[in-house]
Parts: sequence; structure tokens; C-alpha cells
Amino acid sequence: MWQNFIGELARTMDEILRSVARFLPRFLEMLLLVVAGWVIAFVLRAAIRSVLRIVRFDKLSEHTGAAEVLRRSALPSPSEMLSRFVFWVAWLGFILVGLSVLPVPWIAPPISSFFGFLPRLVVAFFILFFGLLAASFFSRAALLSGVNADLPSPRLISQTLRTMMVLFVISMAFEVVGIGSRTVLIAFSLAFGALMLGLALAFGLGGKDLARKYLERRFARGTFPEEPRKEREDELSPL
Amino acid sequence: MAAQDGLWYKDAVVYQVHVRAFYDSSGDGNGDFRGLAQKLDYLQELGINTIWLMPFFPSPLRDDGYDIADYRTVNPTYGTLDDFKAFLEAAHQRSIRVIIEMVLNHTSDQHPWFQESRSSRDNPRRDWYVWSDTDTKYKGTRLIFVDTELSNWAWDPVSKQYYWHRFFSHQPDLNYDNPQVREEMWDIMKFWLQMGVDAFRLDAVPYLVEREGTNCENLPETHEIIKDLRVRMDREFPGRMLLAEANQWPTDLRAYFGNGDEFNMAFHFPLMPRMFMGLKLEDRKPITEILKQTPEIPENCQWCLFLRNHDELTLEMVTDMERDYMYDEYAKDKAMRLNLGIRRRLAPLLDNDRRRIELMNGLLMSLPGTPIIYYGDEIGMGDNVNLGDRHGVRTPMQWEGGWNGGFSPADPEALYSPLMLNPVYGFQAINVQSQKRFEHSLLSWMKLLIRVRKTTPVLGRGSIQFLYPANHRVLAYTRRLGNETVLVVNNLSSKAQAVELELKEFRGSILIEMFGRNIFPRIGDLPYLLTLGPYQFFWFRLRRI
Amino acid sequence: MPEESILSDDFVRELMNVGDVDIVVGVPTFNDARSVGQVVQAVRAGLLKHFPRERSVIINADGGSRDGTQDMVRAAAISDLSVASDVHALRTLHSISTQYEGGPANGIAMHTILAATDLLQARACAIVSPESTTLEPDWMERLLRPVLREGNDLVLPIYRRPKFDGLLIRNLVFPMAKTLYGCTVREPYPADFAFSGELGSQFLSQDIWNQEQGRRGTELWMTLWAAIGKRKLVQSFLGTKTRREDAPSDLVAAMRETAGTLFISLDTYSALWHLTPELLEVPCLGCEPSISDGPSRLNRKRLYDMFTFGVKELDPVFLSILTSPTHDELKRLAGLPEEKFTYSGELWARTVYEFAIAFHKAIIGRDHIVQALVPLFRGRAHTFLTQNRDSSPEQMESKIDLLCKEFEQEKPHLTELWDGGK
Repeated sequence: MWQNFIGELARTMDEILRSVARFLPRFLEMLLLVVAGWVIAFVLRAAIRSVLRIVRFDKLSEHTGAAEVLRRSALPSPSEMLSRFVFWVAWLGFILVGLSVLPVPWIAPPISSFFGFLPRLVVAFFILFFGLLAASFFSRAALLSGVNADLPSPRLISQTLRTMMVLFVISMAFEVVGIGSRTVLIAFSLAFGALMLGLALAFGLGGKDLARKYLERRFARGTFPEEPRKEREDELSPL
Repeated sequence: MAAQDGLWYKDAVVYQVHVRAFYDSSGDGNGDFRGLAQKLDYLQELGINTIWLMPFFPSPLRDDGYDIADYRTVNPTYGTLDDFKAFLEAAHQRSIRVIIEMVLNHTSDQHPWFQESRSSRDNPRRDWYVWSDTDTKYKGTRLIFVDTELSNWAWDPVSKQYYWHRFFSHQPDLNYDNPQVREEMWDIMKFWLQMGVDAFRLDAVPYLVEREGTNCENLPETHEIIKDLRVRMDREFPGRMLLAEANQWPTDLRAYFGNGDEFNMAFHFPLMPRMFMGLKLEDRKPITEILKQTPEIPENCQWCLFLRNHDELTLEMVTDMERDYMYDEYAKDKAMRLNLGIRRRLAPLLDNDRRRIELMNGLLMSLPGTPIIYYGDEIGMGDNVNLGDRHGVRTPMQWEGGWNGGFSPADPEALYSPLMLNPVYGFQAINVQSQKRFEHSLLSWMKLLIRVRKTTPVLGRGSIQFLYPANHRVLAYTRRLGNETVLVVNNLSSKAQAVELELKEFRGSILIEMFGRNIFPRIGDLPYLLTLGPYQFFWFRLRRI
Repeated sequence: MPEESILSDDFVRELMNVGDVDIVVGVPTFNDARSVGQVVQAVRAGLLKHFPRERSVIINADGGSRDGTQDMVRAAAISDLSVASDVHALRTLHSISTQYEGGPANGIAMHTILAATDLLQARACAIVSPESTTLEPDWMERLLRPVLREGNDLVLPIYRRPKFDGLLIRNLVFPMAKTLYGCTVREPYPADFAFSGELGSQFLSQDIWNQEQGRRGTELWMTLWAAIGKRKLVQSFLGTKTRREDAPSDLVAAMRETAGTLFISLDTYSALWHLTPELLEVPCLGCEPSISDGPSRLNRKRLYDMFTFGVKELDPVFLSILTSPTHDELKRLAGLPEEKFTYSGELWARTVYEFAIAFHKAIIGRDHIVQALVPLFRGRAHTFLTQNRDSSPEQMESKIDLLCKEFEQEKPHLTELWDGGK
């Protein structure tokens, strides 16, 4: 009996040891993968950094106004952001590959779904990143040209443009990732529709005189005396 | 002469020579007709087929013989009338025709007619010249010799009246309103025609008649006189020719061809300075412009072209801007200028640049007209601006490197004019004998040029069409007669040029270079690309094979 | 890979036919059919009158006009091909036209003209504006003679023009170029000017043609470059200059061409302007009083309104460009009523310098920085107009001198921000 117990214990121990022995190389393998992954990701980050420096990515995004967004949110430079992002994605990938080596049955499906999800995530990230940059750039461009062209309420135009673009970008990003795409799309459509209606109304109300005059002139030329042209004032002659 | 072709002057290559300057057989320091006759073999070898003799009549020689004192004989310095006849005979034997000068407009003041005319106001010959009590008649008439004369009227102290003269004051103008004068002049022409002379160069034609209120040039009455002479000549001596010396614009000159019933030929004066100008500007515009302005002339008429002659390079027929340019470029030294012109020979004008001399002669022989070569220019003789008036371009012909350049056995001091002596243009450097020895000499090249010209009737008689390639440094034209087409391409620039010629209408033709007879590529659909070296020119015969 | 050429094959073929020349006259155009004919005719008359013996060519570099501008230029040629040549010219005068890619942009036009000048080995090149309707034949002589006969490198124009023309030049370009580079040229951004073939070739070999200053404001860049290089500059009085009635006066574009170019030059020549520059003596040939009287219909009220409006609306932009004292000062100014409004030279100099720094550091898009300067310039223009409403030309000159001094005094501000700023 004792003998039996001992034997059983030994066998169990043996099994444990054997399973540990079986597990340990895989664990080491995983650790190795994680470490190697970190090294590879590190090298990748350095490489991307220098590539981005060579192509003057920072300057590029500065020109498109990207730097401002990042600076405002106290984030590092765009190239730093991008290289860090790549670093983490790469390392995470390696960690997950390492985990999959472990003989743990429940770990495989999430990992494969992670790898299936990864490209979409990257795309969504890029859409979001550049979309937000573009939104900020175009809204400022609209603001400046509005001011310089002496248009009424340029800031409103600029803010509207930005909001529209942000909404649009977010909806696109969600669409790509596949989360609640419908809801976002509907939200966007509603907002866009409302804006267009508002604009149409505003234009219609504001321009009704203009439209009337145009129609009158178009269909009854000569019937109404032309309004005397306002004495044209010289614009500045700068050069 | 055998084979009387009425249009012989169209195929002629004329050699202009002064008897006095060519060859002295008597040893008195002046050339003479016997000497000229001895040198006919040289001229035959050169390839020319017509000689134009400058005036050889008795004369005080105050205007190089254009001041004639007797129209019916030969200046004794040049020999006798028999010597002339012998020369004429010898020339005709070699198929060389002879053009002589006929100065219709004026005589020397030493001519017996003028001596009689001025002797008294009621002399029968008084009316042979143009007399007036005032010097204010014909106010609208320009002065030609601006450097020497102050007025067209000169005071005669003998008969106490003014007489009219368009040139020097010692050259009184004959009065062509007097029928006697006209008869007498025809009589003189008949005298020479009967002797066998082939043509007359009529000097100073536009000035024959004067009318108040006009500029006294190109008057209808003048044309009537010419027409009358031509009718008489054609009737009695068919196949002879009249050549007009009228320094006028082409449109004014056109009238002297009449309907083919006045002059057979006339000098194209405005073209000549423009050829020099085009060369210096490296731009064909002056040449094409003047030829565009040149009117069509009757079928039996012909232009006479020349590069240089016994006179100055005349700049009367150019604008002020063009004249200034010509002076600055071709006569920087004021001594080279005379009246409105430049008194220099061809070679010095072109800086003795063989390529430019060849190009200009190539133009002379390929533009529409009959070319004239001034004696000595075929060997590249120089000029002597230190001699007065135009004597600098009338120095003795340089035959060899020996005594007097082979011109005369006389003492050098006895020559009518000093020889060229400088190391560049002197007779020891430039003479016929040395140039005959080498195939690449200017003389040998001129022989080749003349030979090609004479064997290409299209150059003498054909029409001309300019090609206007976009490169304005290249002057290109075709000459056409019947089925014959010759393409001429000239590079007026001192640099190599590429040119694209629009030759579509000759598509399929092969170009044959006329000096070497080499074949050039066939003309296709694309513009024909040619490259030319500095001052290079091509003559191509187009053949459809 | 073969180097991309700025000259099209057809244009090169035309240049081949022109051959080597002495004078190139360049005319950059874009939809200028209304005035270019007149200008080119005057150029042609000037060349015939003053340079009949020189081999000349008129080269039109067109930015893609669709109104027949190019035909107007080509019609000015003098050749033996033209049907009626009523012009007495010694030579063929080619007048050729090419459309460049990537236009319209004056810099590319100039690049084209410079490349042609270099290829044709011209001794002198004049560039004239197709809008210079007052261009007289004599201008050609005044522009080209100093180059051809007197050995100058660059001839800049001086015009007789209305009192309040060229406000941007006087308030920004002139004081800044003088303070930083010692360049005392009155028209540093010329419309009609001339230069030697040698200078043109050297400028052509500058590595700017793929950059902003090689597209716009190139003329200003050339002036600065020549002044900095201590070349022989000379100013030549041309005559009256009026604007075409319908000429667009786009202040934003003008700001890009001038301030933009100046700001870029700060990067390129930073080692240079940190030192105190030697003033470059630029003699003036045939100078006459250069201010013509004319009605000034400038609307100062509008300038003021656009300034205050701009300051209000562009606040977030200014926040990132300006230092806070300057920003506060501007906001204070925008709150003042028009009668009390004065945008001092000192503040203006500081504003410009801070914009230059923002541009250097590319705090936001560089083009946006330049655009944001426009409303502020309107404010400065308002003050300038007010101060000089009754000034004589001499008084106005001294005001401009004063402004230059203020730019000089504020220069340490620029240096400090440039070197020390974050």
C-alpha cells in the first residue's frame, strides 16, 4: 500500500516533473521569443526612427500641422509616436506568439483573432492619426482664408469643418475596426444632414434678395434700373 | 561670234578689267590692248566668257577714263584702234565676248564738243550741254560726289554761264533734249558695234534728262532715249546687249527693263552691300529682304551681280542705321571711306578669310543674276587706301613675284600706280603664277567654281525660291528651271550650324553635291537635317532616281 | 535616370534656331493677353532703337494661358518670313514662347528664362512684367545698358509711382532686408529688372529650384542673393509705373512671395544675419523724384476692421506663433477704437521677427504662418497711411528710415529667440 502510494507519488512526481520538463522548454522558448521580440522590436523602432528622420517625417507632419495636435496633447513628435507604436505592436506580437507556444489550449483562439485583428487596428490607427491631422490642418486653412477673404464668422466655418472631419474620420476608423460601425455612421449622417440643411436654410434666407435680384435681372432685363455700382475702392497695392 | 544665242548674257560669267591695270606689253608703265590680248589665255583658263572693259578712250583721266575726250578712238597709252580690233578678234576666237563702256551722260571738259560749246553763247554746239544763268535751277537734285563737289552747277568763266554736271565739275552733262546729241551718240555706238563689240555698259543712265520740279533722275524722257537706242541696236545688230549702270532701288531700277525693250541687264546695287551686311550680322535677313523687294523682271532680262568693282562699295542704297553699321564693321579706318561708300577690295574687306571669300563668291554665283568678277579678286588682291580717290582698288594686276609683279618691264617708278608691296597682299605673296601651282589656291578654287556655274544653266536662268529655315544664320534657296532643281544652302555664321530644311515637295529626290558629286541622303518626310561648318555652303543638284 | 529638363524639346529646338545671342528679354506671363502685346511691342521697339546691332531674343515663359497670350508674343518677331516687314531692323529678332510645366509660378518662369539665357550664352538678360503697360522703349536701354556697357551684375528698377504703392515692400521687405543683409535696394522685389549672363548662370546653378523660393518670390531671392554676394548692383530709374486696372492684388500671395521668401532666407543665411551687416551701396542712375501724386482711394476703415477681426478670429493661431507679451499687446490694440489705433514700428518689427521664428521652427504649417501675418500687416498699413497722410515724400522717407532703425533695435529679440528658444 505504502509502496503503492510511494509508487503513485513517484509517478505523479514523475509526471509533474515530466510535464514541468515538458513545459519548461516551452516556457523558456516563450521567454526567448519575448526577449528576442523585444530586441527585434527595439531594432525595428530604431530603424523606423532613422528612416523617418531621413524622409523628414517630422517636417512633413509639421507642414500639415500634425505637430500641433501632438504638442497640444503633450505627446512626443509624430515620428516618435509612430516608432513607439510599431515597437509595441511588434513586441506584443512576439509575446503573443510566445504564449501560443505554451501548451495552454484556451490561449490559441484569442491569439489568432489578435493577429487577424492586428492589420485592421493598424489601418484604423493610421486613419485616425492622419484624419485628425488633416482635420486640424484644413480647419486652420479655412480659418485663415476666411479671415483674409473677409468672410463672416470664419471661426464658425472652421470649427464646423473640423467637427465634420473628425466625425467622418472616427466613423471611418470604427468602420475599419468593425465596432458599432452602424451607430457611428448614423450619427455622422444625422450630423451632416443637419448641417447641410442649416447651410441651405442660411443660404436661402440670406441669399433670397440676391436670388430675387438675379431672377429679375435674368428674366426682365432692362425693366429695373441697375443699381449704381459702388465706387470701387482700391485694394492695397502691396508690391 | 558663232552660235548667236540672244540670251547669252544670262549664262555669262563676266570679268571686269581695266586695260591700264592688266598687262603692259610696251614697257611704258601702263597696261595696253596688246598686253590684254596676250593674257586672254589666262582668262580663258579661268573660265570666264565675257570681258567688261573699263573706259579706254582718250581722256584727261581725271575720273579714271569716265571723262571721255574722244569717243571714236583708243587712248594712245593703251595702243591703237587696230590693237583694240586685234584684241577683240582674239577674244572672239576664244568665245569670249566683250562689253565696253559708253558714257552717255557727260563728256570731259576737254572734249572738243565742250570746248566749242563754251567758246561762245551762240556756238552751234552751245546747245549740246546744259547751260544756265543761275545755279538755282533743278533744286531738287541730289549731289552725288558729296566729298568733292558743292553743287551740280559749275561756273564757266569763258562764256559766263553755269553748266550742269551731276558728277565732277570737269564732266559737263550732255543735253539730251537736243536731237543732234542723241544722233551723235547713236552714231558712236554704231561705230563700235560695227567693229564687233558685243555689249555696252551705259554709265550713269538715270541722269540723262533734267526737268524742273523733279529730282532729275529716272525721268520718262530718259527712258524714251534708252528705248530708242535699243530699237535701233536690235534692228541693226541683233544679239548685242545693253547693261545699265543705275545706282537705284530695285523698284526704280525695274523701269529700266521696260517691257524687255530697254536694258537687257542692270546692276543690282542694293543687294551687294547687304550680302556683306548679312555676312557680318550672321543673319540672312538683309539678303532675303532685299530680294523679296526685288520685282520680277521680263523674261529676256537679267540682273547683274557683283561683289566688288572699280568703285567704292556703295552705301547709297541702305538706311542710315545700316550705313553706320557697315562703316563700323568694314571701314573702321576713316581713310577707307569715300563718298557714301567703302573703297576696299574683296579680300581685305573679308579680313583675307578664305572661307568668307569662298562663301561670298558662292553666293555671287548662285543668286539669280549674271556674276561679275573684278580683276584681281580671283587671286585675292589687296588694296592701297593711301592712294587717293578709288585708285587704291585699281593697282596693277599681280602676275608673278618678280619685277613689277610681272605687270610691266618698265621702271617701278614709271608705273601708272604703285604696286602692292606689303607682306600680306603684296605681289610677292599674292600672284597668279604662285596660285596656279597649287590646287588649293584661291585661283584654282575660283576656276572650279566658275566651271560648275557655267555647266549649270539653272543658276543663270532659273527662278529662285527661298526656304526660310528657322535658323536665320542659314540662307537656303532652290533655283529651278524646267525639271532641273538646284538647292543652295549657305551658313553665314562663323560657327557651325545645324539646320532643318522643309523639302517635302522634293520628297524622294537624292541630293548630289555639285563640287564633289557625292551623294547625300534621300529626302524623306521629315525636315532635311544638314550641319554646316563655319561659312560653309553646299550646292546640291536634286535628282529623282 | 536622366535629369528632368525644365526646357521642352520644342523649346530647345526653337532656341537652337535662335543661336547664341547678346540679349535675352524674358516675359513671364499667365493670361496676360490684354497687356502683353503692348509690352512686347515696346520691348521690341526698345531693342531696335537702342541695341540694333546686338543679337536679341524675346522669350516668353507662359504658365498655361488660355487667352492667346503666346500668340501676342510670337507676333512681335522680326524675321524675313513675316509677310510685311515694315520694320527697319538690321537683324532677325526672334520672339519665342514656351509653356512651362507646373505653373503658373513666376519662379518656374524665371527658371525657364534663366536656363534659356544660359544656353544661348547671352551677355545680358532683362525680365519685364507683362503688366507693365507704361513700359517705354527707353526702359530697355535703362535696364540693359548698365549691364552691357558698364559691367554691372544686377540692375533694379526705380519707378515713379503713387505715394501709397508698395506698402508691403516699405513696411516689411525693405526694413528687414536692410537690417539683416544690408541690402538697401528700393525695389528688392522687382517686376522689371536686368542682370548679366554670368550672374544669371550662377543663380541658375543655385539649389533652389525644387524649393519654395524657386517657385515664388524668386526675384526677391535673387536680389538678396546678389546683395549678400556683394555683386555689382545698380538701380536705374525707369519711369512711371501704374498697375493694370484689373490686375489682381492678392495680399496673401504677395505676403507669401515676400515674407515667405524672407523667412526662408533666414534659415539659409542664419550665420550671416547674426552679424551686423555692412550696408551695400547701390547707386541710382538717372534718379528722379519717385512719387507721383494721384488720388488715394485706400479705405483705411476697412484695414482697421480687418485687423481687429483677424486678431479676434485668429487668436488660437497667434497664440502658438507669438510670445505672450506681443500677443497681449496686439489684443489690446484690437480693442482700441480706430482714432486711437496705432501699430507702432517697434511692435511691428517684433511681430515680424516672432513670425519669422515661428516659421523657422515650423510651429504650425509654414504657409499658415505667412497667411496669419496678413491681417496684422493690414493693421500696420493702417498706421502707416495715417502717419503719412500729409507727409511729403522726404518725410515719408525719414519715417521709413525710422522704421528700419526700429527693426534694427528689435533685432536682438530675433537673435535671442532664434538661438535660445525651445
